[in-house]
Amino acid sequence: MKLYEFEGQNLFKKYGIPVPESVLISKTGQKINFDPPYMLKAQVLSGDRKKAGGIMSANSQSSAQKAIAALLKKEVNFEPVKKVLAAKKLNPLAEYYLSFSYDTGSQGPVFAVSPKGGSGIANADVFPIDIIFGLRPFVVREYLAKAGFISDDITKVADIAQKLWQLFLDENLVLSEINPLIKTKKKEFIAADSKIITKTRRRVEHLGGDIAILASGGGASVLSIDALIEAGGDPANYTEYSGNPSAELVMELTKEVLGQKNLKGCWVVGGTANFTDIFETLSGFVRGLRQIKPKPAYPIVIRRDGPRQKEAAEMLRAVAKKEGYNFHVFGSETSIASSARTIVDLSYKNKK
Amino acid sequence: MAILVDKKTRVLVQGITGNEGSRAAKEMLSYGTRVLAGVTPSKGGQEIHGVPVYDTVREAKNRHPEINASLIVVPAFAVKDAAIEAISAGIPLINILTELVSPKDCSEIIAWAKIKGARVIGPASVGVISPGKGKIGSIGSADVDKIFTSGPVGVISKSGGMTSEISIILSRAGIGQSTAIGIGGEQLIGSGFSDLLMLFEQDPQTKAVVLFGEVGGGYEEQVAKHIKSKKITKPIVAVIAGKFTNRLPHGTVLGHAGAIVGKGAGSYRSKIRALKSAGVILADVLEDIPEAVKKLI
Repeated sequence: MKLYEFEGQNLFKKYGIPVPESVLISKTGQKINFDPPYMLKAQVLSGDRKKAGGIMSANSQSSAQKAIAALLKKEVNFEPVKKVLAAKKLNPLAEYYLSFSYDTGSQGPVFAVSPKGGSGIANADVFPIDIIFGLRPFVVREYLAKAGFISDDITKVADIAQKLWQLFLDENLVLSEINPLIKTKKKEFIAADSKIITKTRRRVEHLGGDIAILASGGGASVLSIDALIEAGGDPANYTEYSGNPSAELVMELTKEVLGQKNLKGCWVVGGTANFTDIFETLSGFVRGLRQIKPKPAYPIVIRRDGPRQKEAAEMLRAVAKKEGYNFHVFGSETSIASSARTIVDLSYKNKK
Repeated sequence: MAILVDKKTRVLVQGITGNEGSRAAKEMLSYGTRVLAGVTPSKGGQEIHGVPVYDTVREAKNRHPEINASLIVVPAFAVKDAAIEAISAGIPLINILTELVSPKDCSEIIAWAKIKGARVIGPASVGVISPGKGKIGSIGSADVDKIFTSGPVGVISKSGGMTSEISIILSRAGIGQSTAIGIGGEQLIGSGFSDLLMLFEQDPQTKAVVLFGEVGGGYEEQVAKHIKSKKITKPIVAVIAGKFTNRLPHGTVLGHAGAIVGKGAGSYRSKIRALKSAGVILADVLEDIPEAVKKLI
């Protein structure tokens, strides 16, 4: 999961990496409590926010307020701006790039570094790290020298790299990146932007479409969304809840997913489960469904198989009959792709 | 023939006294695989499904020198220690079932395996099966004989569920499998597609291989590279999941820890382009796999 810049900045502070003076602003009129000039940065997850107009600068409090108001009304690559980070604008002498990530080729961590950082960064030197030997300080200095850093900067950048490495390991990250690391005219080194990716994932990723999805199976869930789009459907979300989840968990997830606006259908899909108790899972689904107001009249296609599938199918038929839900229940005899076509046909029958 | 697992496989289960470990042991035994010993520290002297439990791998290996594979089913925090214990004891094949091992621990395990010459499958691997010969892990579970049948096609999948799903689709079409492997959905895994494809190269039973890949990492791109340098020559049918992920921000993590949405290398487009240019047959949906495979064998 990618973190917002300000969340990454907080982690930088925790590990002693210098960051610019800044304040997080979530509503207009909130004063900036330090002197201009300012950088005003929309807090969105999109990578190209500069190009999309999500970063502005201001030389006074009043022009900063105007820029903040404009940013808070904006969408950056379809993502509404809810927060703006107002930071002290720095005077860069140079902009550097530093990051740690894992490489599936060398099957270990890598250190990527460039003395030419900034938003247009094209190339960085990538050095594999021997995880058993560890990232020794002299190794970092060797790499920085190789990458073309000037002698004067090597120890200071190496010190920040070491802190970034600790952060990378201790917080169990997939990526820790500083771009740019600004060298000011006073020869201070300040991490002006953060990009942090953690190993965790969000429960629900919103995709903006109109068919809600509850999918099971690490691989099956991803393939299912592809199949839905192939069939002409527009997915509202991605979510995955495999590993024999409790009925409570499925109920909560159902409430969140069916709480999305403007739905035309719901698709509950998964491969053939080995251990997941399908009756338990679908009982949780029904409990969540009952709490959705107004009561969903749209079609709900359920394609699940595995332990207690028959009991689950009977329960669903009874619930549909008694409470008037529009269920369509299938097992593994119907392929994921064909059940995708079914939900698309039913959802868009009268519309589109 | 087959790869990794055959009738000579002798298994140790690290974490055999836990729920998952005990279930996996039971399933392997009922499939006819020889499970010689289990290890759980401080539980030595017990028996699980008739299998003796020891405190250390060293002790198990001393009592049962024939052990040549270990299944690791311990909690995530203990996986690194267990894996390095098995590697140090000289066990050549290590299959890690546990999910959510930290990438740092994964990289350490892999580094030690390289130093000592052990092969690691996983973490987060559902297991390895050579139908009719033996299996390691919980692959196939109760329906194992319905899902897997012996034949000429290798299956390698990042997803445990899809390992079974693809195999059952093949079996229903009358196409059996030589060996099916769930390589695990973590970002760093001990054996990628290429490593195993090179083993299938040497296996006379295998005539073609089916891959299930997804966005994240460079394992699929590596396959294309090795085909172009002729290290991999057997025909391949691949399904790649995650076409839709261009709608998500870079850094989004999907169902598997390794399925990280990115731009450029690791993206859906990069994988499709690389595999296509190397001559791999791409199937859009699972149901298209049997037809594609039939043309190759």
